[in-house]
Amino acid sequence: MAQLQDLPDELQLATAAHVQYIQSLDSRKDEYEYWLTEHLRLNGVYWGLTALHLLKKPEALPRDATIDFVLSCQHENGGFGAAPGHDAHMLYTVSAVQILALIDAFDELEKRGKGKAAVGKFIADLQNRETGTFAGDEWGEEDTRFLYGAFNALSLMGLLHLVDVDKAVDHIKACSNFDGGYGLTPGAESHSGQIFTCLAALSIVGRMESVEADKLGKWLSERQLPNGGLNGRPEKQEDVCYSWWVLSSLAMIDRTHWIDRNALFGFILRCQDTEKGGISDRPGNMVDVWHTLFGLTGLSLLGYPGLDDIDPVYCLPKSTTERILGSRN
Amino acid sequence: MASHGIARTNRSRTEEQRQQDLDKIQKYRDLDDQIQHHVKQSNYGDPALFQLTTKLLRLNPEYYTIWNVRRRCLISGSLSKRSAGLWHSKASPSTSRSVTTKPSCAGSSPSPSAATPPAPATSPSPPKAGASGTTPDEKEEEGGDNTTTDPAEGARKEDVDDEKADVAADTAIIQSELAFTIPLLIEFPKCYWIWGYRSFLLSVCDAILPAGAARDFWVAELALDSKMLTKDRRNFHAWSYRRFIVSALESTAKTDGDASTTAKKSMTESELASICPTSAPGTTAANSRHGFWTRGGADDAARKKFLDQELELARDGLNVGPEDQSLWYYHQFLMDQVIAVGANDQEAKGLIAPHLSLADRREFLDREVTEIKDLLEDYADVKLIYEALLEYAMAYRAMGESEADTANQDEMMVWLVKLRELDPLRRGRWDDLEKSLKAR
Repeated sequence: MAQLQDLPDELQLATAAHVQYIQSLDSRKDEYEYWLTEHLRLNGVYWGLTALHLLKKPEALPRDATIDFVLSCQHENGGFGAAPGHDAHMLYTVSAVQILALIDAFDELEKRGKGKAAVGKFIADLQNRETGTFAGDEWGEEDTRFLYGAFNALSLMGLLHLVDVDKAVDHIKACSNFDGGYGLTPGAESHSGQIFTCLAALSIVGRMESVEADKLGKWLSERQLPNGGLNGRPEKQEDVCYSWWVLSSLAMIDRTHWIDRNALFGFILRCQDTEKGGISDRPGNMVDVWHTLFGLTGLSLLGYPGLDDIDPVYCLPKSTTERILGSRN
Repeated sequence: MASHGIARTNRSRTEEQRQQDLDKIQKYRDLDDQIQHHVKQSNYGDPALFQLTTKLLRLNPEYYTIWNVRRRCLISGSLSKRSAGLWHSKASPSTSRSVTTKPSCAGSSPSPSAATPPAPATSPSPPKAGASGTTPDEKEEEGGDNTTTDPAEGARKEDVDDEKADVAADTAIIQSELAFTIPLLIEFPKCYWIWGYRSFLLSVCDAILPAGAARDFWVAELALDSKMLTKDRRNFHAWSYRRFIVSALESTAKTDGDASTTAKKSMTESELASICPTSAPGTTAANSRHGFWTRGGADDAARKKFLDQELELARDGLNVGPEDQSLWYYHQFLMDQVIAVGANDQEAKGLIAPHLSLADRREFLDREVTEIKDLLEDYADVKLIYEALLEYAMAYRAMGESEADTANQDEMMVWLVKLRELDPLRRGRWDDLEKSLKAR
């Protein structure tokens, strides 16, 4: 990694600024945007906290207040909403479980929350027992994001037995396409985000046998554009968040070397706001915590020095998944 | 979810700007507080709550909970007579999907006072198939200010058994709801919740309207979806919605009898063709085309002809746009059909032409390779061409063509050198490719 030291200052990771940026996120209550994004609050805590762990500053957000907030979002039925008063949904339930996993607080869920069993039941009840896929909530919208989320959270809690894994795997196979990728639903165009969710779900249950690794790796590696950034689909613009969706997928099929590492480092680092912290979708744009996390996970997957290792399947630090699940492989 | 494509500013505000933000926040939070207050009391039948959701969703259509509140308003309000039984378990936010919910304690017994509709301002006629569903109704209620009750409402209450009046009122409400989401959809075409709300409305149609009236709504949605795809062909939400509608229409067509099934299929197929003409046979459109012709039915000769035509279509595209990745994926997919024949029965089932002879396959392959080589005359520096040539040269090996293979070896190495030169970003892939070429 010697060549990184030779990079100009603006291409060094602005660790201190990023930590400060994430810490400042909850003090922006005088900004309209803070309120417009309340429906993402619990996700935001997960994004920010995971980023801080990667930056090796896990204590930068107060643990007790984090647990209090997470539990304040839980409903009687075990599911979590984005914030107190927001309806329960798979997306926030998964974030809640991930946060509790990250800060080793499942015991608090038992003591002060509704308990793992209730969370597991909420998630399992969202499986479509006919097709194997999952809905996001009681209103029934289904896609592979929810299936992955269910596998992620249930496996972290040791409750995968509550769902029909075989049916879910069959559904994922039905979402595969002729280019080796996966779509939102059967027949839908391949998309990096959905490729991540499908591959990660298959990884969690050890069912990668149907993956066409060479074909998929080819498609994924073609996401890298001349400026080093990755796009999500052919003929689309690059975006820092695909540093996660594309790269984690390549990692799951052992092909991260099929793209140019230093070119992607350069692209992600050019998207930093080195002064005020945070990472944006493209150089010169507004930063947000979502792109900040996925910029950092991209750097971590490629072994950028000084960052904690990210688990490409769970999007949690490897130290967290190893503590909970033991060493996989 | 996140900022996309918004230029970075110095993030500092003048005092005046800060004050403006505070005012906006105040209004927004007031609205939210009022809604939360109603929700705590389960006041879903109160038309005031419905109007509040209109205001808030216009400010922030990503606020998913408010869409749910709006759904509950519809179910507990105007639509309650026929819909309450269908969705009573969803009438309060924290009820689980568990089967333990007792129908008797649904708490939504239809009383006239709970039946106040959300001001259906439109005339109660179903939308014209394929046309009117795409334009917002001019009379759409404005910002929730129009809280006056529909004049037809009083009459309806007196005559609750009048099925026709009920259908007309429900139709008007659904129409008004669809119209409400159109400007939001145009402004936020990638908002999952808006698309989800429209699907919900379609399921309401199926649940409470007579089959014909419900179907008109579905067909009108197909037209709206086409408009959305015209605005952005790559919007995967719109594609996903389209599959949802088409499969629903096809399944109802099946129950109507075989003749209409065929009619329906060809309608959707020709519609697809109109959206995804030959200029873009990659992407979602190609995916859908693929879905159509792997469904079977045709004999071997027709299937072979079809494959031939599709290859020609792809090649025509490549002749003018050899840098289009999607086109190459499509071409690759077609070639997989040629190469993979002879695989086991399980795989053969999914193929377009599962019974091609070895001679046919060789002919296809020879022709494509020759045509692709010709491309190099005009486009010597397009790396996708070399990639395809290498890919298909390897296919000869897979087909057991050892003669051709030997002759190809030198040529393949030349293409590989060219690939490395043109595409250094993916050198790791070329290293692996070289290893596999030399390993044989």
